[in-house]
Amino acid sequence: MRGGRDAMRSAAPWVVGVLSVSLVLGLWEMAGLREWALASVLPPPSQFLSSIAQSDFRIGLGSQAATVTESLTATFFRVFVGMAVAFVAAILTGALLSLSRLATWALSPLLQLLAPIAPIAWIPTAIVVFGINDVTAIFIVFMGVYFILTLATLAEIRRIPPEFGTVAGNLGATPLQRWLWVTLPAILPGVFVLLRTNFIAAWMAVLVAEMVGLRDGLGAIIMMGRNLFNNELVMFGMVVIGLTGFIVDRLLQFIGQRILWWRV
Amino acid sequence: MLMKTEAAEAFRVEKLTVDYGGNHGPLQDFSLSIRQGEVTCLLGRSGCGKTTLLKSLGGFVVGRDTGGVLFEGRYLNGPTPDIVMIFQENNLFPWLTVRGNVEFGLKFKPRSQRRGDVVDEMLRIVGLSDAASRYPHELSGGMRQRTAIARALVSDPHVLLLDEPFSALDISLRRRMHALVLELWEKTSMTMVMVTHSIEEALQVGHRVVVLGNRPAKVLIDANTRAPAMKDRYSPEFLALQQRIESVIY
Repeated sequence: MRGGRDAMRSAAPWVVGVLSVSLVLGLWEMAGLREWALASVLPPPSQFLSSIAQSDFRIGLGSQAATVTESLTATFFRVFVGMAVAFVAAILTGALLSLSRLATWALSPLLQLLAPIAPIAWIPTAIVVFGINDVTAIFIVFMGVYFILTLATLAEIRRIPPEFGTVAGNLGATPLQRWLWVTLPAILPGVFVLLRTNFIAAWMAVLVAEMVGLRDGLGAIIMMGRNLFNNELVMFGMVVIGLTGFIVDRLLQFIGQRILWWRV
Repeated sequence: MLMKTEAAEAFRVEKLTVDYGGNHGPLQDFSLSIRQGEVTCLLGRSGCGKTTLLKSLGGFVVGRDTGGVLFEGRYLNGPTPDIVMIFQENNLFPWLTVRGNVEFGLKFKPRSQRRGDVVDEMLRIVGLSDAASRYPHELSGGMRQRTAIARALVSDPHVLLLDEPFSALDISLRRRMHALVLELWEKTSMTMVMVTHSIEEALQVGHRVVVLGNRPAKVLIDANTRAPAMKDRYSPEFLALQQRIESVIY
């Protein structure tokens, strides 16, 4: 029976988690059944799902309407391109700063001045510079994660055991080879952990950009719901954002555990 | 200054001063000759300068201009693939398998100098053929050090420097590693210099044991330990030398 007990123990967090989500959903639905004012502000899933389904999951007016899939794709594209560019740029900046003292003197005050500016604060400027398009959203995501990842890269580089570099140099690696074959693999997992942590920041940044500037994406769904006084649309947008954010976080966790699994 | 060195000399340390910028550095005007094809063990208290000396032999630390280290007759001014160092820990890259770590020893060599089967051969010699696809975190401490030794040897160096390589291992594992080092020496007659804290280890593995006194380092005892009696932990010769070393170190 030990196997059964182990199985129970490993299933327990799932069971309890599903129960707790179901409980909240149940209460939400029950609140919607009554004639409470709450129900019009917080329409329960059965209501908003059926009304969105009636319009074939197309959101918007007339020819401007976009399917939920299109909105999802647009948002994902922005978040992933922004994060990928920021990840690569942060590692390159970290490398430059760790290799050159002049670069450190020149760039670190800039980084420290720019880092505290919230990504959202860049939205007006970005719209003027790049226009209302994907580049703006990607730029906002980039600004949301680039600085923190650069600092993470530097911290990870400092954490590398000194023996690693000595071993590689001793075996004949040039400084560039040493960076490529030792420093890079040594820092990747740690920087990736921070990328995952900051995914939430990137996710929020792109949603805000979509709310205030762009006309498509998940953020735009909520904004449209607001403009049309359509709380069902707002609720639907929020649920989609919550669910997809959760799924992406799990995906990043999977990459972190299966592909970049080692710890230095 | 051009010095002729004897053929049998791997290193000549000449008036080496390493002070890391301070006044009371671990090495001041230190001189020592290390013979080729011999296993030399360096003993001494913590901080006596033995690790600094080892790093100087590898070219990782370069002393003041007043003296230096001659390696095979030339002044050493930086690390060279001919002299490979093995550390107490952090020798292996955690993202590479045992085989990947050993192959790393060949990675930066010109293609013409790489022999395809040398990795398999080394894995077999250190007894890790069956563990070739495992990662460092799946290995015991002894297996990790054996991997590091295999990697050092595939790069075909002239000298192996060992910085307390077995200090983290328990006594029985440590004795097995001593046997492995001696076996490798039998096969290659390679020059080896090992820093250790353990007198027993030095006497077991070394052909020559050099005991260093405290800052600045000076040679207190320089003993030939090649005699078979020195390899027997219970022989009077072994015990006498052990006692003599203990009396100067502690």
